[in-house]
Amino acid sequence: MFTDKIEAKDFDKMDPEYRDLLGRVLTIQSDCEIGGPHLYVEKMLPAAPTKVDQLIVARTAAEEIDHFRKIARVAGDIGVDVSFVLSTPNKDRYVNAFRGLITTWEDFAVFGFLIDRVGRYQLEEFYNCSYLPLERVLPDIVTEELGHIEYGANKTAEILAKGDETKEKVQKALDFWYVTALDMFGHAESKRSERFRHWGLKRRTNAQAREDYIREVNPLIAQLGLEVPDPLKGRKYL
Amino acid sequence: MEPPVNTEKLDEHLKEVVHALHGAVSWAMSHQKEPDLVDKAIHDCEEILGVIMEGKVDDWVN
Repeated sequence: MFTDKIEAKDFDKMDPEYRDLLGRVLTIQSDCEIGGPHLYVEKMLPAAPTKVDQLIVARTAAEEIDHFRKIARVAGDIGVDVSFVLSTPNKDRYVNAFRGLITTWEDFAVFGFLIDRVGRYQLEEFYNCSYLPLERVLPDIVTEELGHIEYGANKTAEILAKGDETKEKVQKALDFWYVTALDMFGHAESKRSERFRHWGLKRRTNAQAREDYIREVNPLIAQLGLEVPDPLKGRKYL
Repeated sequence: MEPPVNTEKLDEHLKEVVHALHGAVSWAMSHQKEPDLVDKAIHDCEEILGVIMEGKVDDWVN
């Protein structure tokens, strides 16, 4: 296991596998950061239920754009240009969760509750990682992601409080995003994931991170009075 | 290794975009009793975000 701490100036001296994996993870992370606004700005900014919600959608998008900027800067400093993801069509995003379009307020709320939470897990993988410039940008990004998760959870609860008809809509959104969230952690037996851990670029296996997520989120779903979906139904990556 | 040519310019451009969006949102949040101001801020955010969603990076950095 690689335990050194690397600065940008050391990058060129690193093993080609390390350079490749770091470039890859930064590219995917930047794609996920900008992938969020591409999912919801078009339909949710005009359609959010109140003006304050519209403003919060705009602020959330601004924060995700800033997260993209910070990751893109870390990537750029080692010669990896991730700017192409700014114009990548949604259907071509690296991660399945970002390949569609959010068109309902229920989906937007549950997306924050579940998918931004996966985003937090992905970022936490880099805590104490071997690449110091990446670790340095984490605290502010994670703090803002926590705000997005809380807003999503609060809005989900708020919609549910309106009654049975809305509960059905929220459950439908939850059924979709829960499975999507679990798939975001990737294959349990991923060999690449092992190499990320070997080089100190991730902390947990995909299966460990997914299990931690399930342990955290299932009780929260139950507290909302919703049914926890079958964790295997419709999954693409087991 | 040298950073890609547009990294710094892109970083600066996006900083300005994020600053403008936060400015518009903060202004509107503190003027919630004035609907016209709030509407204008939302419209400004829609315009700014529309440009970012188009993703024409070359237009921003050249």
